Amino acid sequence: MLLVGIMAGLWPSVRDVYDTELLEAYPEAMRELFDIDAMASGTGYLDVELFSIVLPAMFLLAAVGRGARAIAGEEQDGLLDVVLLGRPSRPRVLAEKAAGLTVGVVALGGALWCSIAILGPVVDLDVDLLALTVGSAAMVLLGVLHGLLALAVGAATGRRTRALVVAGTLALAGYVLHVVGALVDAVEPWRPLSPFTQAIVNGPISRDVPVGFASLAATSLAVTVVGAFRFARRDIGIG
Amino acid sequence: MSTDIAVRTRGLTKRFGATTALADLDLDIPAGCTFGYLGPNGAGKSTTLRLLVGLLRPSAGTAEVLGHDVGRDHARIRTRIGYLAGDFRAPAALTGRRYLDDLAALRGCAGTGAADRLAERLGIDLDRRIGSLSHGNRQKIGIIQAFQHDPAVLVLDEPTTGLDPIVQRIFLTMLRDTTAAGRTVVLSSHVLSEVDAVADVVAIVRAGRLVVVDTVARLEARTRRHIDLRFDGPAPLDELRRTPGVVEVAAGDGTVRVTVEGSTVDLVRVLGHHEVVDLVSHEVDLGEIFLEHYEGTT
Repeated sequence: MLLVGIMAGLWPSVRDVYDTELLEAYPEAMRELFDIDAMASGTGYLDVELFSIVLPAMFLLAAVGRGARAIAGEEQDGLLDVVLLGRPSRPRVLAEKAAGLTVGVVALGGALWCSIAILGPVVDLDVDLLALTVGSAAMVLLGVLHGLLALAVGAATGRRTRALVVAGTLALAGYVLHVVGALVDAVEPWRPLSPFTQAIVNGPISRDVPVGFASLAATSLAVTVVGAFRFARRDIGIG
Repeated sequence: MSTDIAVRTRGLTKRFGATTALADLDLDIPAGCTFGYLGPNGAGKSTTLRLLVGLLRPSAGTAEVLGHDVGRDHARIRTRIGYLAGDFRAPAALTGRRYLDDLAALRGCAGTGAADRLAERLGIDLDRRIGSLSHGNRQKIGIIQAFQHDPAVLVLDEPTTGLDPIVQRIFLTMLRDTTAAGRTVVLSSHVLSEVDAVADVVAIVRAGRLVVVDTVARLEARTRRHIDLRFDGPAPLDELRRTPGVVEVAAGDGTVRVTVEGSTVDLVRVLGHHEVVDLVSHEVDLGEIFLEHYEGTT
């Protein structure tokens, strides 16, 4: 991945900068939220620069776009009729699309893992491979959850825009809850509801596998099942 | 024609919100028959056909194809139905061959060569990208995908849209061959002459309600046709008005418009005694047929 290459390439100079008193200049809340104190290490640098905002956004964009296109997009383009008539059932079509989306996002996660594992040592960016696996899995789970949400909403409604809006809004809400929960004590108890907190609470690059991984996987499965239920019972091609 | 029923509906109703698109439809379409489904735009033709293939779910009533409920038993009949949507579209980036091969694989009929045979018959190059094809050629791809798995029931929504007259004739021959092989065709159209050429039975739907089900011959016998005539000399208006079957004669601007109900045999016999220099027979006006049947049913 080009982005990973660029960020890894910047690491040697960033390391030197963060070794100075620059860290002290950040407000305490910012330092806490983004774990900026950890920027002096390779893992911390990747956590802050890539795994906290940029990579989740990229995984979400790729997965949500694909999820919204997969059924609602095909339906609005008039391509779904013959596909549905050729398959044994609509839930099976949805299951196949969900599997394809998941495989695609996992492949993206694999590419991310390989990029850092290969480029890291080249620029003296020392990252534990098990922790990197957990961090990459967090990106994959966030992408899969929101991608399947877009797929399910698209399957349930037949509207691509609605799928994009619902998945995008919930992603934004989840991220805001994750950020605000870290800064505001009153919101903090609600923070575990955020998929972002569930996915990246420990790092994201960390050897500790978050318990939230299980709930992300379960929620992904649940939204797919609900989408399939509605998809099986609604009219096709009236949007 | 077999006496088995290929398509059966009972009380089939479809509502979209407060709008009733189809109301209480009872149909029995025998196997091996071509069933013409006629009606103006928005009458409920496409809604009915989409209900028959299970893309729409009924608000009330049932639809069965080959004895199976189309919604509940879709898996059992999916390979035995061929469907062409009224606004058929296919992925622009694929070649016709790739698209048809993918669908053949879905329906378990890959490698039969059916697509190539149909393409040759319809005159289309399957190696071109679908996006580069004309509307008529894309429609041919749609026809091939509906036919290629040799389904027992073909549901075709305005299938000749965009086809030139020669291909239309080839297509109608394909339909005759299909029913001769025992298959059943349900064909929607707003062109009576097209249905007339192939259909054994015709149903007319208007505003979501079935107006009449009858053979084409009997339907035409009960409908009105306009014929414009020009005579070499004075038009025999009184004689035309007395001719059996003629219900109206309107003269003007050198042309006489004669409206005939049912057979034109007597009119042709009368015209044989006069110098007719021009004769234009207009398509039977479906609107008038609908009106007649509406008046007869309300």
